[in-house]
Amino acid sequence: MHKSPVHIAIMESSKIIYEGLQSILYQSDMDCRVCRVETLEELMEMLTSHPIDMLIVNPLQFVNREKEIKKIRRSYPLLSVAGIDFGIMQKQSLLTDLSFSLYDSVEHIIHSLSRLDKKNHAATGQKEENDNLSKREMEVLTGLVNGMLNKEIADSLNISIHTVVRHRKNITQKTGIRSQSGLTIYAISKKIVSIEDIDL
Amino acid sequence: MYHTSKIKVKPFMKMADLIDANPSLLLMLQHFDIDFRVSDQTVVQLCTQYGISENLFVSIANLYNGFGTKGHEPFNREDLARVIDFLKKSHHYYRSDKYPQISSYIRQLQVNHTEKELKLLEKFFHEYFTEVIEHLDYEDNVAFPYFITLLNSDNDREKEEIYSSREYSEHHSDIELKLQDLKNLLLKYVRIEGDLDLRRRLFFALYELEFDLYIHSLIEETILIPSGVGIEREQNA
Repeated sequence: MHKSPVHIAIMESSKIIYEGLQSILYQSDMDCRVCRVETLEELMEMLTSHPIDMLIVNPLQFVNREKEIKKIRRSYPLLSVAGIDFGIMQKQSLLTDLSFSLYDSVEHIIHSLSRLDKKNHAATGQKEENDNLSKREMEVLTGLVNGMLNKEIADSLNISIHTVVRHRKNITQKTGIRSQSGLTIYAISKKIVSIEDIDL
Repeated sequence: MYHTSKIKVKPFMKMADLIDANPSLLLMLQHFDIDFRVSDQTVVQLCTQYGISENLFVSIANLYNGFGTKGHEPFNREDLARVIDFLKKSHHYYRSDKYPQISSYIRQLQVNHTEKELKLLEKFFHEYFTEVIEHLDYEDNVAFPYFITLLNSDNDREKEEIYSSREYSEHHSDIELKLQDLKNLLLKYVRIEGDLDLRRRLFFALYELEFDLYIHSLIEETILIPSGVGIEREQNA
């Protein structure tokens, strides 16, 4: 089964440490995308728009911000947090799921992080990204391809416009195709609609 | 041709070495109207020969190499006139080089294969191309003249003409989105038997186009628009 890449945010003010971590992650077997955040505020903003699976953080950034961290963890239960252990933090266990030292071997760090990721997946169930559309989504797609408006699709399927919009969003997410004419070609390639039905 | 190199361009570097590390820079030279035979010249020497400011040349070269434009010196009016010229040259490249090339590949695919999806694919591309031309026309006829007026005027009388950078970027995202659709259709969904040479050429052309469009919008968003706003402010002061 295909697993989507792990999105990792690193919150660490040292560029050397950030780039070092990024480089060992990219060279490892973990399929991941790494980005950097500077502040807790930036992290919170990013969480609202992008899915982030894991945060690697310098726990110094958490000092005096316990309340906010706990709030983030409550709002985003799927986010796992790994702390960088500089040997000076107490109480880290409350705020992070694991910690590693910069002097640990690369294998050890990658191993701990992948285990953390797996644990998280086991807890949430696999999130699949493939283009298998549900029956309903195929019906909505057929309507779209035939040039029907959201309202017309909603009426013909006896669902609300809101639901049609949600289906459309899912279709785009699953297929990676966003334009109407692109979706038409998709629907034909997948034999969801027959080419004879299309005006050429 | 569409890869970036992580070498940060500096004025004393030899142009030939930089091209070797990232051939996409040839496209940049062409947009600057610089000949490819760069001899042993360094970036500074080349800039002097062609009358381009080092600041501007290095900033744009670094965009091609995958770096942002943070920390550059402010661009002057002469630089911005150059930027507009650069962008116009890249329009020419889209219009008379890249799009006709892609178009001919798609047409050839349709000749070689009977699948009807290909006919739709061609239609898709033509609709897309028409939109792109509209956007290029808009820039050539509305946006660029506005900037040129702005650059040449010392007072703020011309500012009645409203230039919307938001409209600008909406156009862009739409262009990038459809290109993405086309690549996804070809990579994931539309079935074509064999013909790998032609299909590879098509992919490479699409990726080359995508890369240059990306740099194009970066130049507009990080150099042209902020500097234009700067000049407006200066005039208001």
